[in-house]
Amino acid sequence: MSTLQESRTVERKSKVKTLDEALSIVKDGMKLSMTTTHYNSVPMAGVRQIIRQRVKNLTLIPTPSTGLAIDLLIAAGCVDTVFASYVGLEFLGLAPNFRRAVEAKRIKVRESDEASLVMGYRAGASGIPFMAMPKYYELTDLPKANPESFRRITDPYTGEPCYAVPALNPDVAVIHVQECDPYGNARQLGGNHMEGIIAKAAKHVIITTEQVRPVEETRAQPTRTTVPGIIVNSVVEVPFGAHPGACPARYSYDRVHLQMYADLGKEGRTDEYIQEYVFGPANHGAYLDKIGASRLMALRTEY
Amino acid sequence: MISAMNDVAPAELMACLFARNLQDDEIAALGAASQVPMAAVKLAMRTHAPNLSWLCGGSGAVNSQLPLLLESAADYRNIFGAEYRYSMEDAVDLQMRGRVHTAFLGGIQVDKFGNLNMVCVGDYGQPKMRGPGSVGLPFAAAFGRLFIYVQHHNPRVLVEKVDFVSGPGHSAQRDQWVVPGSKGPHMLVTPLAVFDFQTPTREARLVSVHPGVTVQEVLAKTGFKPQLADPVGETRAPSAEVLHILRTEIDRNGVLRRLSRQ
Repeated sequence: MSTLQESRTVERKSKVKTLDEALSIVKDGMKLSMTTTHYNSVPMAGVRQIIRQRVKNLTLIPTPSTGLAIDLLIAAGCVDTVFASYVGLEFLGLAPNFRRAVEAKRIKVRESDEASLVMGYRAGASGIPFMAMPKYYELTDLPKANPESFRRITDPYTGEPCYAVPALNPDVAVIHVQECDPYGNARQLGGNHMEGIIAKAAKHVIITTEQVRPVEETRAQPTRTTVPGIIVNSVVEVPFGAHPGACPARYSYDRVHLQMYADLGKEGRTDEYIQEYVFGPANHGAYLDKIGASRLMALRTEY
Repeated sequence: MISAMNDVAPAELMACLFARNLQDDEIAALGAASQVPMAAVKLAMRTHAPNLSWLCGGSGAVNSQLPLLLESAADYRNIFGAEYRYSMEDAVDLQMRGRVHTAFLGGIQVDKFGNLNMVCVGDYGQPKMRGPGSVGLPFAAAFGRLFIYVQHHNPRVLVEKVDFVSGPGHSAQRDQWVVPGSKGPHMLVTPLAVFDFQTPTREARLVSVHPGVTVQEVLAKTGFKPQLADPVGETRAPSAEVLHILRTEIDRNGVLRRLSRQ
């Protein structure tokens, strides 16, 4: 009887935190991952917070097709190294700050491709040291450009040559989704941008979400959970947290804003953008105020 | 059949040409900023290849039914009417294993053997221009065949030798390293002309020039000296019927026509 009464007082701990609380885990010199394919579900609220914290010397290990978040972090002086498979602004052209920083050797590049990042994360997720890769990398310049990653090895079973890429295990992953419960069970309702595999590979996982939803919804449809809460450390509610990127099934990318970003970048004026849109607003709420409710609501219907 | 050539835009011509070269029963794949290939697969499925399937870049859509050509293949709206949403891991598995028959690829540089570069112009250690990166171009050694397309035809894009090999083209050693069945660059299409690689050395060969374009103009704007088909023909214009399908069912918003004006 008495044990039953004691158990009633035991409560499951919510993982919900403020943006500052959750992102304070990101420190100088860490390996940081974030999920996004082009402009989809970019964790921009998290990225702006990292810049406000003036974190330095990050190694970024993003998803294979990325740009905006990486370019902004580089312009803000947060980055030492990028694992680059694709860093660009897609239909808006080159990522201007990435381009300049590489050309001026202000950052280091670990020359990558789609498969080496995906398979590196796959190894990291499983806790194995590396992944075997096809021998055809011999025909590319990737092994010459990035001998740290691409190593020619011998298949121990056939004696044939093949390549290896190392496991990727970021210190922190920031993943933006549409819905997540207080215990970190997250639903990515759009494309699958590797959030599951990156969450498994990372040492610490922060989910930023458009909405925190009750766990009862998770339990009603557990098959819709795409990142399991058991590997998530914190949950942050940031409505429009992917802006100016898109959040599939919620709102489109803000093309006018992205064009402004690209134009300022080309002119070498991204620092003005950072002052106005990152340091100007004290927090995410103030950022949304700056963008304006009517603009944000329009992005929901442009979809 | 009446030719509608007098008002067909170069991007429409390219889409119709690619469509004709797609076969029934194959799996095609395209990447970012791919309105021309996207129009081509949709047109082929509508005209002669109902069993063609296609992977719509970063959106994860297999066989998207969206009746619009969006500026981003990664746009979530491409999921509309699709049959499956593949993950990034799925995408690597499907491509690396060699399940994709035809892939549409491009680059900041393309050379006469169809090598593709998305990394840099100039020396890798001292780049004059840093590009976005190799992304899916190494799968050029796993895809059945490559349809290479570029949106600008000039000597900076079409070069003698790429400064960085992201996607391997033809070479003497190609066959010993690639996934079995990967035959490399099949055709190279630009806003001015069509090249194939049907030469003993597998170098690019100028096959046709688009209507209103001269061979001299193409040679002047090409950074390598292509082999020449005998004779170099004129790129076949789409029939009025095909152009009608393209404009009323596939590209209702006239995206391809606007592309060509840039």
